[in-house]
Formats: sequence, C-alpha cells, structure tokens
Amino acid sequence: MEATIEIRDLTKMFGKVVALDRLSLTVEKGEFLVLLGPSGCGKTTLLRSLAGLETPDEGEISIGGKVVFSAPRGISVPPGDRRVGMVFQSYALWPHMKVKDNIGFGLRVQKLSRREIELRVDTVLDDLAMGGLGERYPSELSGGQQQRVALARLLATRPPVFLMDEPLSNLDARLRMDMRSELKRFHHDADATTVYVTHDQSEAMTMASVVVVMNEGRIQQMAPPGQIYRQPANVFVAGFIGMPRINLLAARTQGDGWARFEAGDFTLPAPGAPPNAKVFIGARPEDVMLSLEPADDAVEFQVYAVLPAGPETIVHIRRGEVTLVARETRQLELKMDQSVWVRFDPSAINIYDGTSGELLPPEGGNRPEARFRMADSGRTG
Amino acid sequence: MESRHRRPAVIERWGNRARARATSPQFLVSLALLAVLVYLVLVPLVQLIWRTVTWGEGDRRLSPAAVEGEITGFHWTEALFGPSSNAMLFEPLANSLFTGLFAAVFALLLGGILAWLVTRTDMPGTGWLRPILIVPYVVPSFAIALAWETLFKSPRIGGIPGLYETVLGFGPPEWLSYGPVPIIITMSIHYFPFAFLLLCGALASLDSQLEESAELLGASRWTILRKITFPIVAPAFAAAAILTFGKTIGTFALPFLLGQPVQYATLATRLFSALNQGLDALGYILALVLIGITALVVYGSSRVLGGNLSRFETIGGKGFKGQLTRLREWRWPIFGATAAVALVVAVFPLLLLAYQTLMLVDGLYGFDNLTLHYWFGESDPELAEGEPGLVRNDIILGATWITLKLAFISAAICSVVGLVIGYIVVRDRGSWMAKLLDQISFAPFLFPAIAFAAMYLSLFAEARGPIPALYGTFTLLVLISVVNRLPYGVRTGTAAVAQIGRELEEAAEVQGASWMRRFRKIVLPLATTGLVAGMLVSFVGVMRELSLIILLITPSTRVLMTVGFRYAEEDQVQLGNALILLVTALTLAGQYLVWRLGKGRLARLRERSI
Repeated sequence: MEATIEIRDLTKMFGKVVALDRLSLTVEKGEFLVLLGPSGCGKTTLLRSLAGLETPDEGEISIGGKVVFSAPRGISVPPGDRRVGMVFQSYALWPHMKVKDNIGFGLRVQKLSRREIELRVDTVLDDLAMGGLGERYPSELSGGQQQRVALARLLATRPPVFLMDEPLSNLDARLRMDMRSELKRFHHDADATTVYVTHDQSEAMTMASVVVVMNEGRIQQMAPPGQIYRQPANVFVAGFIGMPRINLLAARTQGDGWARFEAGDFTLPAPGAPPNAKVFIGARPEDVMLSLEPADDAVEFQVYAVLPAGPETIVHIRRGEVTLVARETRQLELKMDQSVWVRFDPSAINIYDGTSGELLPPEGGNRPEARFRMADSGRTG
Repeated sequence: MESRHRRPAVIERWGNRARARATSPQFLVSLALLAVLVYLVLVPLVQLIWRTVTWGEGDRRLSPAAVEGEITGFHWTEALFGPSSNAMLFEPLANSLFTGLFAAVFALLLGGILAWLVTRTDMPGTGWLRPILIVPYVVPSFAIALAWETLFKSPRIGGIPGLYETVLGFGPPEWLSYGPVPIIITMSIHYFPFAFLLLCGALASLDSQLEESAELLGASRWTILRKITFPIVAPAFAAAAILTFGKTIGTFALPFLLGQPVQYATLATRLFSALNQGLDALGYILALVLIGITALVVYGSSRVLGGNLSRFETIGGKGFKGQLTRLREWRWPIFGATAAVALVVAVFPLLLLAYQTLMLVDGLYGFDNLTLHYWFGESDPELAEGEPGLVRNDIILGATWITLKLAFISAAICSVVGLVIGYIVVRDRGSWMAKLLDQISFAPFLFPAIAFAAMYLSLFAEARGPIPALYGTFTLLVLISVVNRLPYGVRTGTAAVAQIGRELEEAAEVQGASWMRRFRKIVLPLATTGLVAGMLVSFVGVMRELSLIILLITPSTRVLMTVGFRYAEEDQVQLGNALILLVTALTLAGQYLVWRLGKGRLARLRERSI
C-alpha cells in the first residue's frame, strides 16, 4: 500500500491566529512521524487537516499520491474517503455501542457483509488480546482496554495511514510505557505510515522514526530523535527538548574566538561565531561535568540545590547570576552551598546565533576543546 | 505560479469555504430551519404589526373611511387617544402591571424563603415537601382560580354561595371574591413554585466553601448571609424576578375568571374580549403592548445581568451542599409553618375541587348531596344541562384524545427540532447561522402566549401563497405549540448536544459516515435521555396550555383545557373541576416520569457519554 503523505504550503488561520504557516512536509511510507510541540503550536491542527476534519485555507495535501486537499484547485476529499484511521485523545468510543459495534462501525459504513465484519472484528480483538470483551460497553472497560478498543477500531478498517492524537495521554504512567511498545509493534505489523501527535517529548523520542518539532504553526526541526536531542536546530528546539532543560546562556563573542557570558564573569571558546556578536551557548545537563577538586580549566560554582532522582542526580549550581543544571550519574556527596568545579563536555556544545536563534555550524565539523577562561579580573573564586 | 496563487488567495479561500459550506447537509438543514422559523416567528410578528396600521375586513363599522388593506393610523390613534382608550388600553395596562408586579413580588418572596429553607437549612421533611410545593405550578393556572371561587364566591355576583359563606353564615367582602386582590393572591400561589425552582437551583449550586471561608475569618451567620450569600445569589434572584414577572403579566385564564365578574380587565383578558368582539386591530395592539413589555423586561434584564438570563433558567443544582444553616429550636415550628403552607396552597385547592365534583348540587355541603354522577353518570337532563359524566362524555373524551395527540406530536417535533437547532448552535458555534437560529428560536419566549396566539390568528386566518388558511385546523395547534415550546426545546437540545464530545462524531466521520448517519447513529442515541426528558416537559406544558390556543380553537379541535375553561365560564362547576383534576393527574404523571427519567437507566447512559 502506497502511503506517502505530502504536505505543501499548508496555511490555516483561526480568525487572526495562524495555526499553520505555509507548512511543507513529506512523510515517507512506513515512517513513524511524531509531531511534537507545546500546546497551540499547530500540531493537532495539522493532524486534523490530514484527516480532513479541518479545512486549511491554503496549500495542498496528498496521501498515497492522491490529492486529498488543494486550496488552489478547490479539492477537499471528505475524511471518510482519505483512507486514514484515527485514534483520538479521548478515544471517542461511542458509549451507546458495544465494543464489537464500535469496532465494526467503519466496516458497516463500507457495507461489508455481516460475516466479513464479524470475522474482522474478532480477528482484531484477538490480535489485541481482547477476545471475549466484544459484548461489553466501553464504560465497562478499564482505561487501558478502552485505549485498545480505540486502536482496534482503527485497525479494523486497515487504513494505510494511522493518525494518532495524543492517544496515550489519558493512561497512567505504567500503562503508557506498555502501550508505547505495542503501538510501535502494530505500526510495524500493519506496514502503515503513522503521524502521531504528542506534547510529551519522551514519548516522541521513544516512538518516532522522525520527530517534527513545531512552534507557532511552523516546523522548527525535522530529524531523527537522536539528532533532535544532540543537535537542536535552534534555540526553541534546544529549550523545548530535554528534561531537565538545556543550559542556554546568553554570551557575546569577542574578537579572539572566545565568548563572554553576559551575566557571568568568565568566558568560553566560541569558534566559528562571528566576532562581537550575541550568541547563545547550549549545553545539556549531562554535558556539564562537575568535579570536587579545583582544576585549571574549570570554574568554581556553588551548589544551589541537589535533586536526587534514582539513577541520576540533578544538581543546580550557581555562580553570581548564572545558574546551571547538571546531571550527575556518579554518586557524589554534595551539600548545599559547597563549591564545585565545572567543565563542559567540549564536543557537545551547540552555539546559536543570538538574533535568529539558529544553530551556527561548527567550524570544520569538530569543536575545539571547550574550557573556561576566567575573565579579565582573573578571580578564581 | 506565484502570482496566480497570490492575487486571488483571499477570494479563493472565501470561495472554497463558501462552496464547502453551502453543499454540506448541515448547512442545508440550517438554511431550511431558518426559513421555517422566520416564517413561523418573525412573519407573524410583522403581520401583527401590519394589521394594526392597516384597515381590516370588518373595519367599515369603525369608520366609514375604511378601505380594506390601506394604511391608516386610525387604530393606534383610537387606542391611544380615543374616547375609550382608558377602558381599552390604559386601565388594562395599569391593571396588568399592578397585578403582575405584586404577584411576582409575592411569588418571589414565598418561593425565595421556601427555597432557602429547603436547600440551605436543616429543616426536616424537605424530601417530600419539595415535590408538593411544586404542585400549584403544575396544575393549570385557573384551577387555583376556581378553587378560590369555590371558597369565596359571593352571591351578589350570582350563583351559589361559596364555602366561606356556608361556614360563616355571611358573605365575603367583594374585594375578596373578585378583582385585583384574589388575582394577585392566586397568581402568587400559581407562580411561586416557578421562582422556587429557579432559586433552589441557584442556592444549591452555591459553593458553601465561599461561606465557610468567611466563617473561618470570623464573620457571623448574619454577616455571611448579607455579605456573601445574598450578593452571590442576587443575579439569580433578579433573573427569577424577571422571569416570574414575564409569566404573571401574560396570564390570561386566571385574571379572566376572577376579574371578569367585576369588569376588572388586564391586557391579556382585554385582548381576548377585543378579539371576541371583532375588534381585531385593537386586540393586536394590546398584544403588541404585551410583547413590548416582556421584550423590554427581558432586554433590560439581560443588560443588567450581562446576558446571563437564560443561564439561570435552566441552571441545575450541582449539589455542593456543604454546611446547612441550623434552625435550632425553630426547626420544628418552621417545618410546621412550611408544611401548613404546602397544605394550603397545594393540597387543599385540589381537595376542594375534588370534593366539589362529588356534589350533586353545587354549594350544598352534606353527605346526602354526594354523587359520582359527574364522573360516571349517564346523561340526565336535570343535571349539567344533560351532559353525561366525565368518563361517558364524548366532548371530554374527544378533547382528551385531541389533547394527548396534540401534546405528544408537538412535544416530539419540538424536541427533535430543538435537538437539531441545538446541534447547530453547539457545533457551529460562532457562525452567523447558529446565532440567528439561536436567537430566533428564543424569540417566542418574549411573546406572551395569548399575544402569540393573536399573531397566528392574524397570519393564518386566510390562505397566503402556498400556505392554506390553517385557522381551525389541528395543524395550526401543533404549529403554535411547537414554536411556543421551542425556546425550551432548543435549550434542552443544546444541553444534550453539548454533552456529546465532538470527537465521538469525528471518529465516525473519519470512518466515512455521512452527516445523516452520524446524526442518526451517534447524536440521536446519545441525546435520547435529554430528548425524552425535554419531550415530557413539553408534553406536560402543552397539555395544560390554555391561553396559547384558546383563540385558535374551533369545536372540532377542542382540547381539555378549552373545554374546562368553557365549563368554568358556564358555571358547570363539577364537570369543569373533574376535567381539571384529569389534566392535573395527567400532568403529575408526566412530571413523575420526568423525575424518574432523571434517575433512571437512561441518565446513566448520558453520564457515560460525557
């Protein structure tokens, strides 16, 4: 089943609010694409536009080579004819129908024979380990079972495209983990193309083959999960992805390839950045390395708070106005207000343009050793 | 490519949207409904106004200058400045305002106190007092008037003495028998449950934490009541006042029965007699005055309350009862007083009417005068002008059948139309179409029933284009009943649809179900509870409606209420009362069903769909 999705220049306004801003995107066949972004970023609008539940103002959408929406050509194929299946955040199970009628609804719409419908419903129920629940009403099922019925309803009609709108957000944490792997499995087995909306980045990271980070109706970055995390394309993505948040510090480059922190009294090398420019320096908490001993290339900070979280410990440290967050996997005995010495993992630092917020390409692909150098005062604290 | 795309983008966007909308079934249904509503709500109003500024058919006897169909200011000049303008317009207007205002105030006071006692205090017996207190509103308005007459009838007007005279040996003063005083009292009794229900809802939904936090700060009970409780309930109180006044001012049968004998007329009763005397234009002017007053009141109040008027009307007590006020040593005395009130206003009138139906000769209170003739007897020329008892009476049985048929058909149509409009209002929120439908369907709320009837009388008296003259037909009764109940039907429908998540429908849409199929398979089944409850409420409402249809009835379309009203007018007391008890029994049964439905299996279904 050919199921590439192509979106070109899609624009959707709600009154004066731009929900989608000339957005273009191609989803390859078999991809598990996750739309990720803060609420109101347009991800759900995009998904609903794909389903045909929302009519964009401009642009084109084609699914499997067939144009299903085109503003210039005045085409808008109704949702039922787009061969997409959708799982809603609330599951949207019809409370007055039994489970088997919920699942069989789409098949009845397609006017399949009674026997065929029964067969398919039973198969899907068995596949989802829910045989014997067909006669129940949705209200008689647990949250997890309801979620499966919603999935079964999608699978029953065998659409080449799966659309999912935060399908796991109503489950408790444990069930959510289990369902993640199941969803991945079903996506694979059905050989489907999936577009999945979530605001939960760990969900996006764990499930996606490609993540699309959106903000204000525009795509901020589209890349595999690892790259989204290691090389956020701009300040927004850098700040949005990662828990705890990335350390993003405003600095100004000097003429000598060094950058001085605006709110601090130390500098850091910023090679490749234009001289005398505003930049942001981004370092993930795990790239902030703490040491209990002073070192030449390290600068002294004070421990502000220690937040143990099982396998790792999150440490907030301060120096003057600068606060950094570090992730420590070693068992360090840290006390409030004690001094620690900080170095960055040099290869992991990203430098962003201070005005556009875009990632500056690293010089020659490799970053130089990133070390602190104390500012003019020469204080070491 | 770029320029082609850029230049007409706005137009294209518009064009595409318009095309997509115009061909959607929802839009077509909306459009059809809008057209029908305009014809059934706005056109009658325009027609009514038109008739007051043109010469009508029989107007030659008013003025030799009359030319049928020509525009004239004669009717308005005559009504406002003519020699009989006082008797025709201003006195009835003053009387309407006087009785309406006082009745509303009393109803509000009584309803308010009772609502507070029932919802916010530890008074015992609230469980069974509550339904009893609602009975006076459930019975037809003129049942209370008839009971009053039975009690305080004065022989000076003619007929048999009332219970008062029989017991005390001397007649009651005339102001107590007829005129404004009994009208105000009986109207208060009939409408206080209305205010009671509205205020119970508001008081019950009052979050007691608001009061408790004041208490924690050391405020006294009285301060809390004054500074917290009352200001919070004040909008609901104002809304209740306005809605109650809207009801009292348009009441017809009650002031007619208690005012007519002493020539005390209100706008509604004067309107009725004007139309009966063939003074159509005058009647229509009176109708416009009535509509004007109601519209003014509703408009003014929505300004004051910030458009929240309708919210209060259907407000449901979302029980957060919290702490109840302790009545302490007053607990039982207050309970006694409340029970006494309930007994006097709700039980006693019905008992009196029931007893009266058992009297062979009206007014003779004794065992040897008891009979079941008026219930089961065959025709006897000596009694009731030969009319047989209720169960053998063809007129009554025929009217019962027509009543049930009318109530059922109207209620069903009203609910379904209400649901469809509610659907559009909810799903299409913000569109001009939805707004228009919402507002037009609410408009009949502003028309006092008898004025509305006058509008239909003027519109449907003769054939217009493809629409035949519907006067005297059952269809017309159905039409006016449906449109009259529509404000409630739409409210119910809106509430029902609002409970059905949009995603439930979208899930079906993605699977290819058409609009009709979605409406039939998803919306309709899920709205059933609300729909049936709303239908029963309408059913009961239509059944005891008199002023709405009394102008439109002909012998072939008599309903129970008009037959009862005729008996009452003709002093056929026993038959009239028996008939009222029949209507009351049917209405109470309907109310009981509504109540059961609220707790039954269907209600659970509704909860699931949220």
